Amino acid sequence: MEYILNIGVQVAIFIILASSYNLVIGYGGLASVAHPIFYAFGAYGASLLSIHFGVPAVLAVVAGGLIAALASVALALSSLRVSGDYLLIASLGFQLGFLQVIRNFDFTGGAGGLSTIPSTITGAYRTPAFLALTVSCAIATVWLISRIVQGPYGRAITAMRDEELAFTALGRNAMSIKVVVFAIGCGIAGIAGGLYAFYYQYVSPDQYEVLQSAAILTMVVLGGMGTTWGPVVGAILLIAVPQAITFLNLPPSVMAPVQGIIFTSLVLLFLFLRPSGLVGGSGSKPKVGSESATGATGAKT
Amino acid sequence: MSGPAPILKVDKLCKAFGGIVVADNVDVTIDRGEILGLIGPNGAGKTSLFNLVSGVLKPDSGAIYLDGALVTGDPLYRRARSGVARTWQNMMLFKTMSVMENLLIAPRDYPGEKIGRLLLMTGRVRAAEQAAKARALGILDRLELGRAADANVTDLPFGHQKLIGLARALMNDGSLLLLDEPMAGVEGAAYETMQRVVREEAASGRAVCVVEHNVSFIKDLCTRAVFMAQGRILETGSVDDLLKSKVLTDLYFGV
Repeated sequence: MEYILNIGVQVAIFIILASSYNLVIGYGGLASVAHPIFYAFGAYGASLLSIHFGVPAVLAVVAGGLIAALASVALALSSLRVSGDYLLIASLGFQLGFLQVIRNFDFTGGAGGLSTIPSTITGAYRTPAFLALTVSCAIATVWLISRIVQGPYGRAITAMRDEELAFTALGRNAMSIKVVVFAIGCGIAGIAGGLYAFYYQYVSPDQYEVLQSAAILTMVVLGGMGTTWGPVVGAILLIAVPQAITFLNLPPSVMAPVQGIIFTSLVLLFLFLRPSGLVGGSGSKPKVGSESATGATGAKT
Repeated sequence: MSGPAPILKVDKLCKAFGGIVVADNVDVTIDRGEILGLIGPNGAGKTSLFNLVSGVLKPDSGAIYLDGALVTGDPLYRRARSGVARTWQNMMLFKTMSVMENLLIAPRDYPGEKIGRLLLMTGRVRAAEQAAKARALGILDRLELGRAADANVTDLPFGHQKLIGLARALMNDGSLLLLDEPMAGVEGAAYETMQRVVREEAASGRAVCVVEHNVSFIKDLCTRAVFMAQGRILETGSVDDLLKSKVLTDLYFGV
């Protein structure tokens, strides 16, 4: 039972990560590969605040999210000002650079990570309590993102992705929308990091490698990029499937490559057969802000 | 020039890309209610002038005044908020969106683009959305496209897409309207509609500037026109006078 609940917590955390990455890359069209480092900023930020300054867990998690959001604004302002294409390169550098910083500072526990994160919830109900907490956060994330991408803001994001120049020439501030979308997505990843840190009471640099963004991207693509429920389905599938393989009792040396092969084949299969993902419609292009103009038809007399 | 200040005043504007000069000491004024024609051969700098006035390009030197206020340094988005509305040669419609959504994104004031307002001041956002929707329906009716409101823009015929480009620009209720080749590829009923609406906009007090190769369209609408070539204004005058000048027609028709 404990095992199943534990998987539930993992799934919830990855729903938060995949949904927030979907906001950035799927809706916002912002090609960043640095999502794991913002996840790390949240995890390390919350852990260090709690270990060194005794900040209560809830505040530490929120602060972790804010740290990730602020860091993302720094990255966005420096790279998006030039051109959207620079974000890919800049985010890669940001991801690799900061992970090295985390790995090499004593303050962050170096390569060994941090293992003295205080326990916040103790006793027999610890795992169910964390499950309830992380699932609530996942629901809140999905709700917030669906709220953002519907209506006037979502319409603005879609228009910006369609024709950025025409969009800006209508008086819309594309730069500000990009920075805000990026900051919200990365801030939510930071909150996921804080939740992770307090649940496992252990963080290490290896968990935030650049390859982690490939795993999160797989969840987004498989479920359906630019859809509300796609990342949710993707996260459930990609956490549950590898767990199911563990029942085959393969040796660890075989297990890792087998999981890698499964991830890669799934992505390739989906790109060929169903580019819009499991949840996406038949079209391959993500569409947001499609709230229909009610009452518009039939107005002509 | 006496009388009220012009809506647009372009003063000694210069812009070059390396050796290619797209604006060479350009001076233009457009008055309230006027429809100014901008003609000249391809590569004359007509669209570049639109890009400079609307803020897509930054001039190397010179000044642009809108309603008497200096706007030369303002970024593109702020220029639109100050009242510069424009269309594009290749329309640049939002292709994945419906006609109505293409228009709803275009008012000068769009409180829904601020995330804080969207989440906290829902009343103000909703009121602005309602106002924009009413305005959009009114504009579509004037263009006889009310029925197309919910259609995807790419499903409309070309002439109608051109009209949607105009409709989107009209959502901006500012004082200056720049139309870049509104008639290219447009014929029949859409042609008549375009002509009528452009006239109505000028009559309502806007300053309108039209880049157009269709000379009869310019002749019908404009009292005054500017002839440009190689980034320079060669002559300003009535359309008839400009077309009588042999030097200009030779340049235009590439003799």
